[in-house]
Amino acid sequence: MKQTVQTFMKTATVPVKMSLLLMGAGHFRYGSISKGLLYLFVELSMIYYLVQRGFNDIRGFFTLGTQRADAWAGIEGDNSVVMMLMGIFAFIVIAVFAFFYVQNIKGAYAMQKRAENNLPQKTLRQDLADLLDQKFYVLVLALPLIGVCVFNVLPIIFMILIAFTNYGGNIVPPELVDWVGVDNFRKLMVLSKFGPTFLKILGWNLLWALLSTTINYFAGLGLALLLNKECVKGKAIWRAFPILAYAIPGFITLLAFKFMFSYGGPINQMIISNGGTPFGFLGIDAKWSARLIGLLVNCWISVPSIMLLATGHLSNRDMSLYEAAKIDGAGRFAQFRKLTVPFMLFATMPVLLGQFIGNFNNFGIFYFLRGGMYMDGYFLASDTDLLINWLYNLSIDNNYYCIGAAISLVIFLITSVISLTVYVKSPSYREEDTFQ
Amino acid sequence: MKKKWIAAVLAATVALTATACGGADTDTTDNTAKKGGTGAAVFNGQLEENVTIRVLENDTAIEKGYFKELIDAFNEEYKDKGIQAVDANMDQYLDLANDGPYGYGPDVLYQANDIIMKYADGKHILPLPAEEFDCFEQIPDTAWNAFHATVDGTEYTCGIPVNVQAPMLYYRKDLLPADWESAWDEDKDSVPDMIQSWSKMYDYSVARHEANKKQYGYMKSLNDMYFSSGFLFSYGGYIFGNNNTDPSEIGFAAGEAEKGAQVLSQLASAMNEDCIDDTITTNAYSKLADGSYFATISTPDVYSTFLDELTKAYEEQEGLSEWDAAKKAEENLVMTALPQLPSSGDLTDKNAEQIVSKCMGGVNGYAVSSYTKAPNACLEFVKFATSYDMVKRRAHMLGIAPARGDVAKEVGGTSEEIFKNLDAGNIILMPSISAIAQIWTPGQTFFIDLAQDVYRADNEKKYKDLASMKAGLEDMCKQINEAITTLQ
Repeated sequence: MKQTVQTFMKTATVPVKMSLLLMGAGHFRYGSISKGLLYLFVELSMIYYLVQRGFNDIRGFFTLGTQRADAWAGIEGDNSVVMMLMGIFAFIVIAVFAFFYVQNIKGAYAMQKRAENNLPQKTLRQDLADLLDQKFYVLVLALPLIGVCVFNVLPIIFMILIAFTNYGGNIVPPELVDWVGVDNFRKLMVLSKFGPTFLKILGWNLLWALLSTTINYFAGLGLALLLNKECVKGKAIWRAFPILAYAIPGFITLLAFKFMFSYGGPINQMIISNGGTPFGFLGIDAKWSARLIGLLVNCWISVPSIMLLATGHLSNRDMSLYEAAKIDGAGRFAQFRKLTVPFMLFATMPVLLGQFIGNFNNFGIFYFLRGGMYMDGYFLASDTDLLINWLYNLSIDNNYYCIGAAISLVIFLITSVISLTVYVKSPSYREEDTFQ
Repeated sequence: MKKKWIAAVLAATVALTATACGGADTDTTDNTAKKGGTGAAVFNGQLEENVTIRVLENDTAIEKGYFKELIDAFNEEYKDKGIQAVDANMDQYLDLANDGPYGYGPDVLYQANDIIMKYADGKHILPLPAEEFDCFEQIPDTAWNAFHATVDGTEYTCGIPVNVQAPMLYYRKDLLPADWESAWDEDKDSVPDMIQSWSKMYDYSVARHEANKKQYGYMKSLNDMYFSSGFLFSYGGYIFGNNNTDPSEIGFAAGEAEKGAQVLSQLASAMNEDCIDDTITTNAYSKLADGSYFATISTPDVYSTFLDELTKAYEEQEGLSEWDAAKKAEENLVMTALPQLPSSGDLTDKNAEQIVSKCMGGVNGYAVSSYTKAPNACLEFVKFATSYDMVKRRAHMLGIAPARGDVAKEVGGTSEEIFKNLDAGNIILMPSISAIAQIWTPGQTFFIDLAQDVYRADNEKKYKDLASMKAGLEDMCKQINEAITTLQ
């Protein structure tokens, strides 16, 4: 890098060096007026943006406001949350500008080299033509990339940064928010009410994610294998039923199950009509029965999608392997264990990881089935709540946005570490060519 | 030539940069000019002319046509000034704090006191000159207090009370025992005893269920904090200290609140397991209509739903015409004040002195957004909407209990009863502070646990006596306190 800079400083002509200060100067010198004008426009726009609001936005990002709003006195004041967002946006604009700035210098230097070697310069038209040909991928990917930056990266960065502020509780606009460093993470670990609840919920959350992913996956695979059997008549009709369950919006299914298992629901009515005593399947004492119902209801909702996925993959199996295994004396279970499972795991590992993350963060199941209770020994949570439900209780019900953001970060770290570890160790990653 | 051209571009660059700097200066001046617009001082009596006021009204008022009558009457009165009120057409759950500053909120809001007052701290609603309203003397202090806020050390009134919401007892006259006048009217006042006393209601519930296992007396899900907390208040419990303004003191376990918990527990024992979750709340309309339940409690605004369901039941069960069924339903469905409670907190204690039932309630009222461009026109609208005639019309059309004493007296019946209860301090209004949001889930958890306890095996019961109930209530208060204070 250092050498490149030294070479540049030694060999670059004055107009090319001028591009460091005035974007497009090198392009003007070597006859590419339109490109030079474009770079100049970028620089001027950047200056205009910085002067108009960029500098203020960057300063606001660090201060998060100095003037409290007062609608009665007509003082507009600062909105810390908006200032943080605009600050992040300013950094993104600067990063984009830096990209163009580097391209401007590289382009000018490349033009100098072409001129020195008596090669014809590329016109803007040729560059644009390249975008439709050799660099078509740049053109196609640029728009989604911008979309991802604005709609994904910006909110994620925003959420991460919220975890380092005191936003929430009584500190909501018009109050001014402040940076508090790692105070929220410290609270999560140190506060006596948080630590035990966090660990209890985390333990159940991991168990839930593991169990539900395993149950859903093997139930879906089993169903797909069953419906793949030649002896099954009317496969299309059989397959349609799980899809019906899949097509109904999840929360409606959950509310229907909540009703079914409620005291006044049909299951308890059947128990009563048979002389039994109603059972609180989802009641306050029903820790494990509620958890089991959650697992089964989640299975009901998720199995159809796994079944569809598995049905597609199973049709790609090399059946000669099964013939060979059969000749070698492998039984059905051995074939399933040694051929079907490795093949399916290889083909569906990324989806399986997606399922795991989805289940880890499955908000709806216990929110709809058993929301509205705080249990003894838990801080603002119940014994079926997952971390995502606790996060909701804290950040939405109780307005502790900063703590919610801190928990989100912890969830993100846990899920990303597990996913990456499993993926890197999986055949999908290590034996990419096995089934190709 | 090329050099000249480049020089021209450079000159333009310098010029544009300078212009950009100049632009920033101008903008700063503009920002300064925007200041000093809004505030209570903006109510200067000078009506803004040719303006449109967006009013967020109650859904029922819109559905039943009252709101149209209101804005039509207002628009007619102020048409020469060009002031027009329109439906804001916004969701009831809007967030004025976030939407208002960007011009998206309504100019006038009609909502419950706890919703309106959560905007007061952030000054998102304007303090109103309450004394200027003709309803000022007619509305009891309790209702005004629901809209009082202390901001920066000064007390303000941020809303004008219109109607009072409080739990009422619904029962069916035709489900009273045939011999009620001889067997269930000890004081011979021609009012059934079970309507006047929770003890008698309990007795009747037990008797009715014993006679027919599919029928019950009083039924209500205990998990609803709004309805259940009244039993605690009747025995000295309260929500927050210092007249519901100090969340550092939580009073659900105060006084002899555990007696209220015991009453609830006894009532639950005459119900079934449906009282643990929200099954009864969901099916109360149909179960009262089909005769499974004799009585329940709910708010006055659902009277028409109970009535419609009962009308339908009469049509189906007795083959009556719609008109006859509706007439019969109106005769038999009664909405009345809550029965009295035994001072001992034991529904089986026949000698206990009877005390008045207290309940949690709310006051709906009008407020003006701080972000309105026409505060004086909005104030005029609120004055118009809270005038005697309009509130009376509202009470007639919607069956609400007016906060104005003169209208309550004029309307009479249940409305007057609710007003009297409010005036007497028997309706504990939901506190107008943000900490109120933290009471619901811990409260609901306690009441679910209390109801569940009735159906637990004897060796698993948690609430066997008053002391254990007191401990349960104290736990609930602790949980609420932790939710409020832990992360502050």
